[in-house]
Amino acid sequence: MPSPDDPDRPRPAGAAAADEARLIERLVRRDEAAFNALVRTYERRVFALTARMMGSRAEAEDLAQEVFVQVFKTIGAFRGESKLSTWIYRIAINLSKNRSKYLRVRHTAQQEQLESLEERGPVAQRSGASMSPIERPDDLATGRQLENIVQAAILALEPGFRECLVLRDIEDLSYEEIGAITALPEGTVKSRIHRARAQLKELVERALGESIR
Amino acid sequence: MTEPSETNDEAENQAVRDLVRRTLSNDALAKEAPDILRGVQRRIRIRSRGKFFADGWSTTQARHAYLLIALITLLLAATAYVVLVPVDVR
Repeated sequence: MPSPDDPDRPRPAGAAAADEARLIERLVRRDEAAFNALVRTYERRVFALTARMMGSRAEAEDLAQEVFVQVFKTIGAFRGESKLSTWIYRIAINLSKNRSKYLRVRHTAQQEQLESLEERGPVAQRSGASMSPIERPDDLATGRQLENIVQAAILALEPGFRECLVLRDIEDLSYEEIGAITALPEGTVKSRIHRARAQLKELVERALGESIR
Repeated sequence: MTEPSETNDEAENQAVRDLVRRTLSNDALAKEAPDILRGVQRRIRIRSRGKFFADGWSTTQARHAYLLIALITLLLAATAYVVLVPVDVR
């Protein structure tokens, strides 16, 4: 049975909009109880989204907390042109993209450092430095392995494609909602999802060594 | 009439979508979700220098708590004095 705080709980559109307007009013007044309720309502969805975007539980948790800090800081700037959930998702997506970019740059810098060390001498070779992922024995169960393969393939997509695919195929949002979150026209959203699926298919099939049916 | 390539394309699209939904269901992930709220409150408290989500100890909004502790300490000191200081019975 859906909980009373569940944002997915079916409610008449007018009543839901009025509830949301009241909540926003309280949030703008910096009502801490209202903010706590907001975090409780959305924390799981935001964590799930950041986890799929980042592929790391620690990064996802850190980012999810940062999303709500941003919500608290900038709620006064929320103009109500979209649903509150859409606005929160937009913050989550933007922070995820920024963090991915930062991590990619840092990773590239580390990779370059590592390569220069390898060029200098055999120390790095002897230490067994390697960038390839190490499979843990408990990950070898087929279901878990498939999940890891698909998650890794999603992380390998371009961030712009990844966000559209995650919002559509995992979060189950409509094209219109995705357009509102990503600030992209609906046609672009559809095209990115289509191309993201094609890339994902290729990556997963390469990893599995068989075609997806 | 739908072209065979379009049908294939559609089927492939659906197959990938099904695979993603099947393997990366948010239900399991949501169940494992950590407690975000406490971390968020802590960050806001630190960044607002205790203006919001005061914890009752480290902020200026908790003066009543300091007062209470001061009174309890005084009371304990007075009690210790009465109990421990030797009384001249002559």
